[in-house]
Amino acid sequence: MPDTVTLKIKRQDSETSDSYWETFTIPYIPRSNVISCLMDIQANPVNAKGEEVTPVVWESNCLEEVCGACTMVINGKVHQSCSALVDQLEKPISLEPMSKFPVVRDLAVDRARMFGALKKVQAWVTADGYHDLGPGERESTSHQEVAYKLSECMTCGCCVEACPQYSLSNNFLGAAAISQSRLFNMHPTAKNIADERLDTLMQKGGIADCGNAQNCVEACPKSIPLTESIAEMGRQVSGKFWRNIFQA
Amino acid sequence: MFFAEWCFMDSHFLTRRIHSLTGVVPVGLFLVYHLYLQLYLHSGAETYNNSVNSFYDSPLAIWALVIVVYIPLFFHAFLGIHLIFETTVQPSYTYFSHLLYWLQRISGIGVLLFIIAHVWNAQLGPWMAGTWGTHFEHLSSGFSNPESGMITKTVYLFGVLGAVFHFANGLNTFCMTWGIALTPKSQIRIRIFSILLFLILSASSLYALAAIW
Ligand code: HEM
Ligand code: SF4
Ligand code: SF4
Ligand code: FES
Repeated sequence: MPDTVTLKIKRQDSETSDSYWETFTIPYIPRSNVISCLMDIQANPVNAKGEEVTPVVWESNCLEEVCGACTMVINGKVHQSCSALVDQLEKPISLEPMSKFPVVRDLAVDRARMFGALKKVQAWVTADGYHDLGPGERESTSHQEVAYKLSECMTCGCCVEACPQYSLSNNFLGAAAISQSRLFNMHPTAKNIADERLDTLMQKGGIADCGNAQNCVEACPKSIPLTESIAEMGRQVSGKFWRNIFQA
Repeated sequence: MFFAEWCFMDSHFLTRRIHSLTGVVPVGLFLVYHLYLQLYLHSGAETYNNSVNSFYDSPLAIWALVIVVYIPLFFHAFLGIHLIFETTVQPSYTYFSHLLYWLQRISGIGVLLFIIAHVWNAQLGPWMAGTWGTHFEHLSSGFSNPESGMITKTVYLFGVLGAVFHFANGLNTFCMTWGIALTPKSQIRIRIFSILLFLILSASSLYALAAIW
């Protein structure tokens, strides 16, 4: 076993400044993960040249791969840093912020665009008023199985980071929001605005911007069947496509 | 765009859907028909020439060709090139589908170059030279030309296989775009189907080319 671990970190001091690489060497701890390495650097922010530097900034919350906050590009591939185990990673470990979002500082990015996409597709259950609407519709087990899987999305950004069609310069909604529109279009109450969600998906930046590269489904840490969701929403907008031409 | 509004749709969505549709009908179907026709290369010069020329007997042939093939193809190619410029290159994600995604784009450019060369070589060139009608002789002499024959053959080989790949793989993604194949299982079925289609069309066009090789 090695005594130390080397990390190459792509850093950026502010939203507008240029990025630069900095190397850190820290003591090796068995079964540690990338976040614990970052914590070590935070406790003793000295780079490999022995210079004292500002601690590396990153985001994290749950530390168990359910919140999505700690997502970054590790050895060239996007993943949650809390569940990226040092023992399983090739060394030296390279850490970069996600490239599809504006960098706030170092490894912390602003994923506002993803949450904006959820707002655009109205990824919520619509209920009007406060009066008692009675019990909701019963859902079948098969329905639950599909919906539960889709509901595991943590808006982490892996899918859009890996997507060749999603870039800083366009406004593609991305696979996560498309998949969430499927979840809410199948919900017994939320489906009352299903058509509005389809309208959003049929605008610029909508589902037509997907190029079927299928990287999203490979990159999703929650194994959400994203290409199935894209195909399902493709089917729903196809229906609307013909309805618009022949019935609207 | 007026046309899109008239269809109650966002023009961006509409153009993408027309792009997808034109790839299959009519351009894809024409490709299959066109490759089928080439099997007549094995039936000798007269039969082959007749089978090609009989299409042009109709006074509407040229119009049909322009409306059914050239305009949709031009639209598909034009938007296709535009789409290629919109993608991000991400080589660290080495998945098979991602490879196909890039092969679809590269073969698209290759097919465009091939079609330009092919239309010049087989259609416009003979027309302007006044030798239109003797297709078999024109093709086989081009292939057996001691100086440029090898280049012509290579261009045809890669052009045809590229077009077949682009069509077969495009049919695969077409089924995702339109939501025809939903589940991962059905997407695998469609993938197997498009691989078979690729093999069958490749074999058929290689067999056709062998007649004049
Ligand atoms: C032989 C002629 C051609 C045929 C039969 C054909 C057929 C197709 C088909 C069926 C698709 C799939 C559409 C979908 O996924 O919904 C496609 C996609 C595509 N084609 Fe073509 N095509 C041809 C020529 C070209 C040319 C000349 C170009 C331009 C250089 C081109 C560029 C593209 C691109 C970039 C895509 C991917 C679009 C996307 O996934 O968003 N194609 N083609
Ligand atoms: S779909 Fe998967 S990869 Fe995309 S944001 Fe949700 S959990 Fe992350
Ligand atoms: S299928 Fe490809 S292009 Fe479409 S959202 Fe997923 S990664 Fe992006
Ligand atoms: S800290 Fe929540 S996913 Fe890593």
